[in-house]
Amino acid sequence: MLKFIAIRLLQFPLILAVIYLITFSLAWMAPGNPFEQTDRKMDPVALETLKRQFHADKWYKFLGYYPVRLIQGDFGPSMRYTGWSVNDILKVSLPVSVTLGLFALTLATFVGVAAGTMAAVKRGGFFDWASLSVALVGISLPSFVAASLLLILFSVEIPLFPVGHWGSPRDLVLPGLALSLIPMAYIARLTRVSMIDTLSNDYVRTARAKGLSRRSVIWKHCLRNAFLPVLSYLGPAAAATFTGSFVVEKVFDVPGLGQHFVNSVRNRDQTLILGTVMVYSVFLLAFNLLVDVAYAFVDPRIDVTAKSE
Amino acid sequence: MGRLLLIPIVLLAMLVASMFWSGRSEGEPADFVFFDRGDVRNLDPNRMSWMEDIRLGYGIFEGLYALDPQTLNAVPGTAGRIDISPDGTVYTFHIRPNAGWTNGDPVLAEDFVFAWNRMMDQPGDYTYLLDFIVGAKAYRAAVAEGKPADFSAVKIEVLDSRTLRVTLEHPVPYFPDICAFPPTFPLNRRSMERFRKVDPHTGRETYDNSFVRPPHFVTNGPYRLASWEFKKRVRLVANEHYWDRANVKSRVIDRLIIEDNKLGEFLRYETGVVDWLSDVDTNIAAELLARGRRNPLLKRDDLKVFPAFGTYFYSFNCLPKFKDGRDNPFKDLRVRRAFALAVDKQPIVETITRMGERIADHYVPPGSLPGYLPPERGLVHNPSEARRLLAEAGFPGGRGFPPLKLLFNTGSRHGEVAQQIRRQWRDKLGVTLELEPVESAIFSERLHNQEYDIARASWFGDYRDVSTFADKFLANSDNNDAKWVNPEYDRLCYAAAREQDHAARMELYRRAEQILLDEAPLIPIYYYVNTFMFRENVRGIPLDPRNMVVLKAVHKVKTP
Repeated sequence: MLKFIAIRLLQFPLILAVIYLITFSLAWMAPGNPFEQTDRKMDPVALETLKRQFHADKWYKFLGYYPVRLIQGDFGPSMRYTGWSVNDILKVSLPVSVTLGLFALTLATFVGVAAGTMAAVKRGGFFDWASLSVALVGISLPSFVAASLLLILFSVEIPLFPVGHWGSPRDLVLPGLALSLIPMAYIARLTRVSMIDTLSNDYVRTARAKGLSRRSVIWKHCLRNAFLPVLSYLGPAAAATFTGSFVVEKVFDVPGLGQHFVNSVRNRDQTLILGTVMVYSVFLLAFNLLVDVAYAFVDPRIDVTAKSE
Repeated sequence: MGRLLLIPIVLLAMLVASMFWSGRSEGEPADFVFFDRGDVRNLDPNRMSWMEDIRLGYGIFEGLYALDPQTLNAVPGTAGRIDISPDGTVYTFHIRPNAGWTNGDPVLAEDFVFAWNRMMDQPGDYTYLLDFIVGAKAYRAAVAEGKPADFSAVKIEVLDSRTLRVTLEHPVPYFPDICAFPPTFPLNRRSMERFRKVDPHTGRETYDNSFVRPPHFVTNGPYRLASWEFKKRVRLVANEHYWDRANVKSRVIDRLIIEDNKLGEFLRYETGVVDWLSDVDTNIAAELLARGRRNPLLKRDDLKVFPAFGTYFYSFNCLPKFKDGRDNPFKDLRVRRAFALAVDKQPIVETITRMGERIADHYVPPGSLPGYLPPERGLVHNPSEARRLLAEAGFPGGRGFPPLKLLFNTGSRHGEVAQQIRRQWRDKLGVTLELEPVESAIFSERLHNQEYDIARASWFGDYRDVSTFADKFLANSDNNDAKWVNPEYDRLCYAAAREQDHAARMELYRRAEQILLDEAPLIPIYYYVNTFMFRENVRGIPLDPRNMVVLKAVHKVKTP
């Protein structure tokens, strides 16, 4: 197991380097530059000075400078937000997104698994039908619609929660709920399908024949197996929710990281683009590894090392 | 089962931990809270160029001159007394002995020399404003070419620790306004020392941009930058070392930041969290205005719509050939005039922008500059004349006109305006253009490099003089996006720049603008308006076309 983790960890730098290079080339080739921001044309000397200052006058200077600093843990200065380094920006916005993402994902997992299990047990019943429909709406409803609806309902019409505020646990509820809807629906569907599968297994019948209560069989014996597909979904889902959502952050004015994925590209803020992409990549790699490890943890019979050896 | 339960438990524990990690900010409540357009972009005086940054700039810095909060005229600022030589070329500034930096240092003449020197070494959007100073152009040119440059040749002299003498190439009537403007703000060298970087190859000094962040940012204005929470809030607290602290009306001012969420801003104004909105969303404002017109009881007195110091227009590419080698029909002034005269602007302001904007037949917004009258012949809607001109230019009824594109940036109302104008050209001239929407980052680059046929454009004045508009169309101007060249226009503008008599200057500029409109490198469409919202207990916000607000004077009063 340790060997497996070590090999995976050793692959990380290589994968990250490839991602860095691809992102850099895309950002560099896109027309437009991060310094020209007004309807005035910039003094060419001023532009050159700035580009030199940011080591962005030639592509090889950029590549010769930033990756070296990145290895030391420094993403360099943001080209758009003068005076702020990418590290500063990540430092203030990543915790916000992680908090919100954790809340959303916890909520999605609890509710999704519970709803999916119940739907599978009462298969074909009213609850199954209702939860399937809700899940279908949850997946299909774009988050900007869901988020706006929540905001209008619970902040404007029924002022239970503040409009656009960040700093107290109360502010987590609406954006967290909005962010959790899609993963929740997915988890519910995944749980339902794999639970139905599990329930038809022989060992379930055996357990029931042994005299175990229905509840104990479902929650103790079946859920563990039915949970595995959910677990594999949780890896990428965690990477996506923890790094923030542009739409949800926009609607609820959450100062998270999600907005920077879009805005940095719009502003051609090359260092920030690379910063956000690298953070997302690290999250994705780490969570996928975590999921593999968790597999073995949930079900010791699974040998995750089998494939890589 | 126990193992499975561990996952949610770990999740919950992480959630609680991360809530502490993500932090919170409240502090004491502010005396005045406002939203400005978008985010804080740049507080380094060298690169300050956005309206919202300049507003903050006037809060935390003060130049030799300052702006009067009501009239926005340049009045003595950090310099209490200013002697101007009779020929208007030598300014001697006497800095107030009680002018202080936020760290307690006195403001000295050398602080200005340091800042202006840095400005010329690390130029920004407005560095050219210093070119009026004797020796500045030559120094900047040498810096640009990487040659050794001697700053002592620039006529900015320290006579004693609090006396500064500046010599200009020729009299500049609006030099006091420039001395109140961000590129001439002083900087505190001592506090910037830790951010200094010396290039090992050239030996040139630069300063790391993070010097603008609290707590290291030292300024000399009415306020100090007490905190700057990224994309959340900027807090200003009165500077106890400021010379005129008795007239600083609010002690703590918050500028909240949310980006691209005008509805959120408005809701927070409506719920009383915010006292002033400097840029109300067009949809919201137009809706409020329409409601007020339908029902006088719903009229909102706190919504202020007033003329701005800017013009929305279309720019022709006037080069003989387009950048890709195609022949350019717009090199012919008859074609440009035909396109300009075919545009009926009324439907645009009535159905698209809907803020009561005035339609524009001229370039400089009429009435925005004292003593300046718009030239006689504007570009007024005249479809029959437009058709005649187009036929005369060889395209009767639009026949044989090459397929061209109309470039604009996405967002705002530019797309709707472009569709409306495209339809008018099709109906009146028989010419159909292709619309080409691009995102802002690409748009400005293409506009500045003449990679367009005809493009949406705009221009806002910076200081109270016609030259702030007129200079844009000089042959050698970096901002002449149309690449329109007329020697007579240049001659009139240069003569006006040196003319001492106000009335004569205005007349020269008027004649220049007449040439501009006759030759039509642009189609003026409408004059911008500013929209503010603030309640009746707010004082110190003038409704001035230049859209500037001096935070020093802004405060709330208790209303019965």
